[in-house]
Amino acid sequence: MELIDVKDLSKRFGGIIALSDATFSARAGEVHALLGENGAGKSTFIQILSGALRYDSGAIHVGGSEYRPQNPDAAQSLGIAAVFQELSLIPDLTVEENIWFRHEPLTWFGTTCRKRMRAATLELFDRYHFPAIRPDRELRHMTLAERQIVEIAKALAKNPRILILDEATSALPAIEADWLLKLSRQIAEEGRLSIFISHRMGEVRAVADRLTIFRNGSTVAVHEAKAVSDDQIVTEMIGRQLDRLYPVRTASRTERLALEVRGLSSGHRLRDATFALYEGEVLGVGGLQGHGQRELLQALFGAAPSKGDMKLWGKPVSPSSPRDALTGRDGIALVPEDRRGQGLLLPKSVSENLTLSVIRRFSRGGLLDKQQEAGLVREMVDFLRIKADTPDQPVGTLSGGNQQKVVFGKMLLTEARVLLLYDPTRGVDVGTKGEIFRLIRDLAAKGYAILFYSSDLPELVHVADRVLVLREGAIAATLSGDEITEEAILSAAVLDKAA
Amino acid sequence: MNRFLARNRLILLAYAGVVVLLLVTALFSPGFLSPANLRSTLVLAAFVGIVAFGQTFVIIGGGIDLSIPWVLNCAALLLTMMAGGQDLALIWAIPLLLAGGAAIGFLNGAGVAIFGVPPIIMTLAVNVILQGLILVYTGGSPTPSTPALIKFLAVGRVGPIPVIGLVWVALGIVATVLLSKSAFGRHLYALGTSATVAEFSGVPTARTTIITYMISGMTAALAGILLTGYSGVAYLGMGDAYLFTSVAAVAIGGASILGGSGHYLGTVAGALVLTILTGLLPALNLSNGALLVVYGAVILVTVSISSETWGVLFQHLRPPAREKQGETSG
Repeated sequence: MELIDVKDLSKRFGGIIALSDATFSARAGEVHALLGENGAGKSTFIQILSGALRYDSGAIHVGGSEYRPQNPDAAQSLGIAAVFQELSLIPDLTVEENIWFRHEPLTWFGTTCRKRMRAATLELFDRYHFPAIRPDRELRHMTLAERQIVEIAKALAKNPRILILDEATSALPAIEADWLLKLSRQIAEEGRLSIFISHRMGEVRAVADRLTIFRNGSTVAVHEAKAVSDDQIVTEMIGRQLDRLYPVRTASRTERLALEVRGLSSGHRLRDATFALYEGEVLGVGGLQGHGQRELLQALFGAAPSKGDMKLWGKPVSPSSPRDALTGRDGIALVPEDRRGQGLLLPKSVSENLTLSVIRRFSRGGLLDKQQEAGLVREMVDFLRIKADTPDQPVGTLSGGNQQKVVFGKMLLTEARVLLLYDPTRGVDVGTKGEIFRLIRDLAAKGYAILFYSSDLPELVHVADRVLVLREGAIAATLSGDEITEEAILSAAVLDKAA
Repeated sequence: MNRFLARNRLILLAYAGVVVLLLVTALFSPGFLSPANLRSTLVLAAFVGIVAFGQTFVIIGGGIDLSIPWVLNCAALLLTMMAGGQDLALIWAIPLLLAGGAAIGFLNGAGVAIFGVPPIIMTLAVNVILQGLILVYTGGSPTPSTPALIKFLAVGRVGPIPVIGLVWVALGIVATVLLSKSAFGRHLYALGTSATVAEFSGVPTARTTIITYMISGMTAALAGILLTGYSGVAYLGMGDAYLFTSVAAVAIGGASILGGSGHYLGTVAGALVLTILTGLLPALNLSNGALLVVYGAVILVTVSISSETWGVLFQHLRPPAREKQGETSG
């Protein structure tokens, strides 16, 4: 018996067709993966399921009866809960206040009953084996990963029949991502349905019973997960054969020191880091999320206060602001963690975003040389193959992968040859991921020195020359060559060497 | 230019508002469209436009300047006292007062950008402090006599065109160069759109913020100086009306009050709308109280139509958010 059955679902936004005659069906008791490139219509589909959008034509049946959600509350009352990438949490509220928001257990006086709320929270955490999170912490003090976990708790608090996880693992470090996979299985084993969306093939493999593939707003295939190969899935997703995801790694490291760091500390999350990065090298940074990676990259970029010695190309520097770091060829540039909050002016144009860091360079006697600017913008758009109608298009209307390319372009225009990348493939489709990996290796081959943090272990294994593993803010291990394996990174991230 | 208009539909809307208001006003009081009356409307609008010059920069940068009324008032009072009716004294009095306005702006900007005081609190406090200081200094009595040169600048004419209209045009050119053609303008829009992104992009955020408040202080002082020429005297409270109008002109001109968008060319239309409105309302034969109520209500409606509401509406009419899909991967 199908728990959810979708027939010929269509949805347009003005001239853009987001879904055209998409079908989807899934049973209670399974984990059903939904796959597709960015722009394939997955998001629109689940937004319709969760009542955030209305559809134009088609039919949805849930548990045998017709379902036409008018708003998210309607979806909830039918037992559908979705965890989106865009978090819907309120920073000023605590973990438990967020989880039970609008469903708070009440006292006789109509005020929130804190005791029962706490008990319910702990029970929820216990039932689904949540990672340790204090229920009374305010969201504003928490990392993206921790917030994502709270978002998941909020969805589970509604005890849904259908749980939709939209790339919920992308913000999670390895161990928590693993937990989420187990949780998906648990939901299925309890006779409920878990709809799982991820760009990471390994996860889909590990968790899904069946999978449905969307391309250009339509359903192109439904498979038993065991009966289909990765290659076939990827081919069906992108509609063509994909060149290999990871580029060939050719050694390009020279003996010239690009960045030398000695005893760098920042806040209470980064302690006494000492390492060197060479010209032409991709130095990976691994470890569980929240173990000092953010502080490391931000301290190097001058975005967080720090103590310690730093040398760039042999010269001592101590950047106290990103402005200090962005000093042209001898500087240091960052692809920040939060593309939308730190990287891009979403309402502004592709062009304005690309040149923001270097706009002064186009100033001639106080006036901007817009032709020169446009020329450079065109070159960069071509070089990175940024898909935009015109350079004047607001960057917020681009797909996630293209937005990230704009961030890269903005960084490259600064001409800095030491690059810091914070999880640059987060929320990026598989085709663009491949392009980004190739770009990283190409830049290294040209003599750039690259510090590359990724929350996805295979990326470090396949792209980096060496990997620093951070644990509790200190460098726990430095792996190179054949030592770089997922197991080695993970065990260094988790275990004491002595153990 | 087409690109500029495409991105700034709200500015066009504001100018359409100007035309509509002119026509409506002509209906109610046919004499309104006489050259003399249009000229005096332009002069009044120019004062609003000059005060709102600085406010435009501050608001685009994501702040707000509430110290304008008493910066203006101080400049006016000090000018009449310093000059004592003599044109010659203006040689040092005007630069000194403009520098003083900029200094107050520096104080505002530094408080906001370096010490992190919210703009509303910082500039409101400075406004009150200035009010207090000038009361102590003048003992509360108005001062007489404005130098002739100032009178010429405020109410004089070159042929049929008011001098202050020319001043306003000059300011419009300066603003357009700064906003549309300079690196500073890019930095400013970036700052107002997202201070964090600007900071991460190497934009000198503190400096940019401080400069906007300095501009605002300077144009408030300039408006104060010119207003003494218009009214012939400087008196306490003469700047109070400009607090609301400076913000309203910017908002009617299509700027988001949250920063990051807008243009001085929009503010110019906003200043015209507000001034024509002021001229129109007396023709309705209302009591003074009722007049204020209508004035306030009309501005409220205009601002909400021209800025946020329409912006949001337009967004909904457009295909929403390939952005969202991209990000959440659909």
